[in-house]
Amino acid sequence: MAGISGRVSIVGVGHTAYGRLPGRSAWALQVEALRNAVSDAGLSVGDVDGLFTESQFSEPLLMHGTILGRQLGLRPRFLSTQSQGGATCISLIQTAALAIDAGMCSVAAVVYGDNAKTGQPNIYGLAQMGRGQADFVAHGLLGGPAMEALAAQRYRYEHGVTDEQFGAVAVTFRHHASLTPHAQYRDPMTMDDYLASRWIAEPLRLYDCAITSDGGACVLLTSSERARDLAQPGARIIGMGQAHNLDGLRDRRHYTSFAGARASKDAYAMAGVGPADIDTAQLYDCFTSTVLVTLEDYGFVERGGAGAFAAEGGLGLGGRLPTNTSGGLLSEANVTGWGQVIEAVRQLRGSASARQVDGAEVAICSGHGGFQATHATLVLAGDGRS
Amino acid sequence: MSQWELPKPQPVMSEETAPFWEGTANDELRVQRCKECGNLQLPASAACMACRSSDLEWIRASGSGTVFSFTVVHHAFHPAFASEVPYVVADVELDEGPVLTASIVDVDPAQVKIGMDVEARFRRLDEQYVLCVFVPAGARPGRAGHDGGDQ
Repeated sequence: MAGISGRVSIVGVGHTAYGRLPGRSAWALQVEALRNAVSDAGLSVGDVDGLFTESQFSEPLLMHGTILGRQLGLRPRFLSTQSQGGATCISLIQTAALAIDAGMCSVAAVVYGDNAKTGQPNIYGLAQMGRGQADFVAHGLLGGPAMEALAAQRYRYEHGVTDEQFGAVAVTFRHHASLTPHAQYRDPMTMDDYLASRWIAEPLRLYDCAITSDGGACVLLTSSERARDLAQPGARIIGMGQAHNLDGLRDRRHYTSFAGARASKDAYAMAGVGPADIDTAQLYDCFTSTVLVTLEDYGFVERGGAGAFAAEGGLGLGGRLPTNTSGGLLSEANVTGWGQVIEAVRQLRGSASARQVDGAEVAICSGHGGFQATHATLVLAGDGRS
Repeated sequence: MSQWELPKPQPVMSEETAPFWEGTANDELRVQRCKECGNLQLPASAACMACRSSDLEWIRASGSGTVFSFTVVHHAFHPAFASEVPYVVADVELDEGPVLTASIVDVDPAQVKIGMDVEARFRRLDEQYVLCVFVPAGARPGRAGHDGGDQ
């Protein structure tokens, strides 16, 4: 293991209730999540000297972190607001880890919260999305599912993936959510339920798509040295990688292989581990298809093999790679990638109750966004205290 | 005006994109060509995505291509499209190489397949813009060409 690997840890995780929270503002959700993460670590809000944020998506704001930090009375030593779609959370965590390791801050809060379910509808935001480069909005290619559908359709075509293989991802993650007390959707889902769900943008059905949530989430980082004295076992950051295919769907290679292939290679190298060493994966599941391609990009299965792997139970608890063990964006909550990292930390602490993966020591998380443009990978390991 | 009367979102006219939209207004599909390395590209960019030169020009494309991927959109994410679902948007690989994302019109969505040959048509979006859309290749010319807007 080289350099920064293992020197920074996630020491606190926190979130709000998830679901329909009418009357809650995005700011209030962010503040509550931050408080919960700080409390989880046994620290106080005043200890936070690094603030790392993503703006609420339904009301995109420039300089978001300044507005959140002001409301908490923070005077941070390091401040960063980033916008990389679904890769933002892990990118912020990586930036925070670098800042901590460089001595530029000591306790970093990585925060998100939105009232996308009951707050202001995001019609205007959608119309703005990708302006300047995305003239296809005028053709009605609007919203994540419609854009993702173009990649999913090609992936199915090249590898002969079936409806039921997509459905296996949705059904498995819903089962995991049913074991997760805070998950937004806990009712069981059968394959028939999946197949009967309405088309959003073919080949994607409603249950292929991330849910919409009100909710906030936060992870707290500090040095692994300081982590030893804190309330919870630390999750050591042993591997980090980013890669970006900025031409996204303009390059025909990027429909069936994402930048995750490159990002994970770097993260594995930093961590000194490979796919066979991963005990649980928490993958960015904005869509069922995204999970399948990421499994291939990360080397868990051969190209084109992810659909069969999912259908054979590979992603389930007790399967070869228990994945999105709290339900992911498809069923737990849509807090744009924070949920994946929080669940990985809980698995490494051994505190995931009914959904605990026995002996989980190494976890991998993915963040993926910008319609195949951005990707970030995080490899975490327990600190032996759990 | 309520949000439910929003017009369709417009493309963006800029230094980079203006030649493309001047083309569609004249029933021409144009692609950007790098004078340094000959790379052909869409969308319009401020530099060549292959060699990074900014010495760029525009050439007329044939308007023929094949469907690389597509979606049938059933859920209207924008109220201006609510009356049009289900509709087809495709990534069309032009014979010249670049991919253009655009509607396929005058077609039964169930008939659209990857690999299908299509050809360009031009449909007026609003006072300012004409869109390049596609129809199945060999479609009868009755609705071909610039029909002044049938939206």
